[in-house]
Amino acid sequence: MKNLQIFLIATVVGICAAVTASAGDIKVIANPAVGASSVSADELKGVFLATKTSLRDGSHVEPVLEKDGPVHEAFVKEYLGKTDAALQTYYRSLVFTGKGSMPKTLAADAEVVAYVAKTKGAVGYVSAGASTAGVKTLEVK
Amino acid sequence: MQVKTIVLAAVLSVGPSLLHAQFDFRVDNRDVQVHSFASQGFMYSNDNNYMTMPTSQGSFAMTDGGVNASVQLTDKFRVGAQEYLRDFGRMGEWHPQLDWGFADYRFRDWFGVRGGKVKTELGLFNNTQDNDSLHTFALLPQSVYPTDLRDATIAHIGGDAYGNIPIKHLGSLSYTVFVGDRRDSKFGGYSLMVQDRGITISNYGGLQYGGDLKWTTPLKGLLVGGSHLSEVVTGTGKTTCNQAKASVNCAMWTAMTNGNYEEYSKKAYSNYFFGEYTLGNLRVDSEYRRYWRDQAVWNGLWAVWSDTRGYYASAAYRISKRFELGGYYSRFTCKWVSGGIGPNGPATKPPSLDTSLPGNHIYDKVATLRFDIAKFWNIKVEGHFMDGYGTNQSPDGFYDTTNTQGYKPKTNLLLVRTGWSF
Repeated sequence: MKNLQIFLIATVVGICAAVTASAGDIKVIANPAVGASSVSADELKGVFLATKTSLRDGSHVEPVLEKDGPVHEAFVKEYLGKTDAALQTYYRSLVFTGKGSMPKTLAADAEVVAYVAKTKGAVGYVSAGASTAGVKTLEVK
Repeated sequence: MQVKTIVLAAVLSVGPSLLHAQFDFRVDNRDVQVHSFASQGFMYSNDNNYMTMPTSQGSFAMTDGGVNASVQLTDKFRVGAQEYLRDFGRMGEWHPQLDWGFADYRFRDWFGVRGGKVKTELGLFNNTQDNDSLHTFALLPQSVYPTDLRDATIAHIGGDAYGNIPIKHLGSLSYTVFVGDRRDSKFGGYSLMVQDRGITISNYGGLQYGGDLKWTTPLKGLLVGGSHLSEVVTGTGKTTCNQAKASVNCAMWTAMTNGNYEEYSKKAYSNYFFGEYTLGNLRVDSEYRRYWRDQAVWNGLWAVWSDTRGYYASAAYRISKRFELGGYYSRFTCKWVSGGIGPNGPATKPPSLDTSLPGNHIYDKVATLRFDIAKFWNIKVEGHFMDGYGTNQSPDGFYDTTNTQGYKPKTNLLLVRTGWSF
């Protein structure tokens, strides 16, 4: 019985770990044409909230998002200070007032990496373990 | 229920299953994004009729929708336009209008310009008030965002300068300054209000200018700000001058004007102060608006001075992925004075300065449940418990022609509204 309890607790913990992520589990990536190798948290927030279209070094940037999942939720919470619902409302408010567009949104890490690799100025985020061939990783300060 | 409403509601019910995402296409190797939104509402009130609808019998005459297209032509330059129509009782009447259409050049993140027909940045929600999907509430607090006075503030034909300025360790400032021409629809609340007095407005609008400043503070989740709008508004039209409703001597006035009506601003401005705090799934908003209007009416023979003040405090909490609960208390008051101008003007009416009178205030307590059926489709159930019916000097949801029996001091209203956005 005790072994069963331990097993059940371990299973629950494992499931919870699988569906949540933290900032440490996320890599911020950029197209190689982006000059910067690091970005401040404020700059990153500005890029994804469409208040910044370039980084400090002058590189033009545009955000790329993941559709949903633990990496997306962790990124939105940790770096943008919003829930996904609030972020979608924010983007729609830009779209329906003409002050911005819906950012590119892709389903999975591999698609994000592939898009960022081929799109000048693209900045996105993937899980820490994702392959990042063809893109550069930005350190978030 | 009108056939148009039934057809639109049916199409919009089927549409979401077919169109669950924005529509993009490419022109000359550039992405053109197309988005749309729509909503359908039902109102039922216990006594007084609201928003020009026969709500005491139940009314579905609350439909609106819009579609836009936009394209980023270069890294700094974008263009786009949005068409909008609505039918809210006698307001809108399905007449489509250009909601916004402008070119936007962003020189730097701290300085950009827009020119064309631009949604006006005032307060937290002025420029998004038409978009049901963006809000917890089916009806925004009417003390600050009166939907029947939408035309007065929603957009200007002119230009903006705008930008976002980071302030090290102190957050960031987002500013907009604007100037342009306001042009009201003939199917807006003010035109309907004066129509009740026998005046048919054919043209109403004029110069508007002002600004908005929002401070994203260093305290995580807190935003505060203020806005100002000044305007010089002129209205022209016709009237047969019904002496029972007119403020002037009709025989004298008709002899002077031959039935051609005119009014103009002597002084008119609005000030907004607002704050918003978000913490996880909780959002708290509060705003205050003061609208001062000193208007010469009846071709300069009569003057109306009104001091309208409104504020609200709201809270909304997303209790799950699909459910959100919210509530607000909204308080609207209006003091007014009207009287003849000049030695030959008619006698001044007694001023109405007592805002405790039900005809000079609307206090509204609201509770809302929002259910997100899907990311693009929501339904809201909302209860309004109103004390007062406002004033005949400013459109405020209660109109004489739909309340010919007179007004009861309190109104309870059920509002069910469903909305889609793509």
